[in-house]
Amino acid sequence: MAAIQPSPSSNDLQPPYTRTTPLSWVLQNLFNNWYNTVFTLFFGVILSYAAYRGLRFFFVTARWEIVETNLTNLMVGQFPRNELERVWAALFLLGGSGGFIAGQAKQLSTQDPTSPPPSPGREQILDFVRRAWPFTILVLFLLRLSRSTTIMLLILALVALTGAGRLIGARIPGASPKRITIFALATACATLLLLLFNGPPSQEWGGLLLTVFLSTVSILASFPLGILLALGRRSSLPAIRFVCVGYIEVIRGVPLITLLLLSTILKLFLPPNSFDPNDITRAAVVLALFTAAYVAEIMRGGFQAIPQGQIEAAQALGLVPIQTIRLIGLPQAIRKVVPALVGQFISLLKDTSLVSIIGLSDILKVSRSFTSQDDFVGKGLTAETLAAACLVYWALCFTMSKESKRLEERLGVGER
Amino acid sequence: MGDKENETTLPGPFPPQGKKPLQKDNQHMSQPTSGNTPTNTPMIVCEGIYKWFDDFCALRNVHLTVARQEVIVILGPSGSGKSTLIRTMNRLEKHDKGRILIDGTELTDDIRKIQEVRREVGMVFQQFNLFPHLTVLDNITLAPRHVRRMPKKDAEAQAIELLTRVQIPQQAHKYPGQLSGGQQQRVAIARALAMEPKVMLFDEPTSALDPEMIKEVLDVITDLAESGMTMIVVSHEMGFARAAANRVVFMDAGEIVEVNTPDRFFSQPQEERAKTFLSQIL
Repeated sequence: MAAIQPSPSSNDLQPPYTRTTPLSWVLQNLFNNWYNTVFTLFFGVILSYAAYRGLRFFFVTARWEIVETNLTNLMVGQFPRNELERVWAALFLLGGSGGFIAGQAKQLSTQDPTSPPPSPGREQILDFVRRAWPFTILVLFLLRLSRSTTIMLLILALVALTGAGRLIGARIPGASPKRITIFALATACATLLLLLFNGPPSQEWGGLLLTVFLSTVSILASFPLGILLALGRRSSLPAIRFVCVGYIEVIRGVPLITLLLLSTILKLFLPPNSFDPNDITRAAVVLALFTAAYVAEIMRGGFQAIPQGQIEAAQALGLVPIQTIRLIGLPQAIRKVVPALVGQFISLLKDTSLVSIIGLSDILKVSRSFTSQDDFVGKGLTAETLAAACLVYWALCFTMSKESKRLEERLGVGER
Repeated sequence: MGDKENETTLPGPFPPQGKKPLQKDNQHMSQPTSGNTPTNTPMIVCEGIYKWFDDFCALRNVHLTVARQEVIVILGPSGSGKSTLIRTMNRLEKHDKGRILIDGTELTDDIRKIQEVRREVGMVFQQFNLFPHLTVLDNITLAPRHVRRMPKKDAEAQAIELLTRVQIPQQAHKYPGQLSGGQQQRVAIARALAMEPKVMLFDEPTSALDPEMIKEVLDVITDLAESGMTMIVVSHEMGFARAAANRVVFMDAGEIVEVNTPDRFFSQPQEERAKTFLSQIL
């Protein structure tokens, strides 16, 4: 054995300090040997060229006037122009109460003794920028095209209202999960009322409004339905199990387009002469039923990943089966499948573009219709309209994906 | 590992003088914990229990009567049915034949009876089975709040009291994953105690622990035994069996082979299989 070492001083216990300058990072990671240098140069040239062409199209050659003229169509389709106040009112309602809910949730999390101490203001602002930049790009792009002072003022007011809601929410004491849920439900009902009560007929809905409406409704409906199906599939009662497995396998075995085309027969399943669902309702029902089958399989994976010991511990404590599922099974299963679940919902959002097959004008359908207008027909402006639709989809999906990552990090607290 | 040898040959951490008086023949004695319930009835009665897993007979003709405040340690080689036996006592396993009565309530297919028994029987598992998504405090208050309908404030006060009893009150707001194995198992004990059970079942409570953490958990279990809790402990800790048990039950191949006082079981076992088992581990 070697002689006794002197005990390490506090300096020795620090990890070795290495300073990384941008130059040293580039040398270490991009040019560290001959073949990496070749790769770097090769892909560097290709990427720079692609970026140059892309940016040039976006900022120089693109003739955005086709989107500019049709901006309202892109947002709401054929929604009657004299009823647009409804949409704005709904936006303000969602912004204000969304901010309020965020504030209350923040308050709730700071009350929780397990939460990390609040980060300094600068961190919070940076954090907000990291969260909101894709959406901000979209809004700036649309504002740039609209060139309308009124709309810019409205958007500013919306942002201000959301911020005010956030501040008020953080200040009004007594936040509770119950209050937040009630508030969210009330907001949802009020929004629907604003848009639907005595409103324009459903076939006039379109554009981004339709896309967002369809995805929100089907996400909210498919999630609980999928959980029930997953639980049914694991049920000890053969009849329930059989029905759930049958449902899941039939739905997963048929393309979404086919189901949408079949949606006309939906009313065969309703009591005769009761209620004739319109196209939008039918599309929302089909999207929800379709996604529910996939959510069910994702949730089943989550439930199966829970160790048997967790269920036994809950049983041994005297929890009844429904409490075991609600308090132990579901929270753990959801934590395990957040990424897959959000992936499914992103996929759903993009699949709403298929509703054009039954004659609905979602954002993609609307944007494709611009090129056949009298002013633009035969001018080859497809790229501009599709690029605008792409930007909208991307901003929505990327925001969902970022929020999912955040959620994962927050739910993972304390888990090894 | 060699720790078991040491524990049985050297004087263990549990001096026999700490042992509470044996309660023979179900004679009634003062019962500070169980209030107005009759004290001369046994707490647990197992009559002719059989249990099969497919074709494998895990329990055969098990008879066992546990008196109030009695501490039973079940010993035996692995696969002998020790865990299965105590898991039938709160219906985590269904017995196929025989009768099990817990404090006079018979375990049948009646789900209400099963819930009634589970409320009165606490269990501690080898793998702790704490709920990883809940803090220590929430783990402990969960069952009192949702099963006993105890108000949140009361449940939390009780939880802090129990955590103090198992000596980790400062960990209340951590998650199980942030604790050491010994701490987790002590939380699991506190969680079971929060339901104020009449019986505690321990399924190899120290087998998944690092050696240096075994003592802190056994100390808590020994304290509990001395406080008058009726307990059945499946364990490989011979020192603990000697110090805390009123009776030792030795099982092999699904049968109870020998029931004896710990002193006599370890010094002069009656049955051949018990002798072989002891010779293998000593």
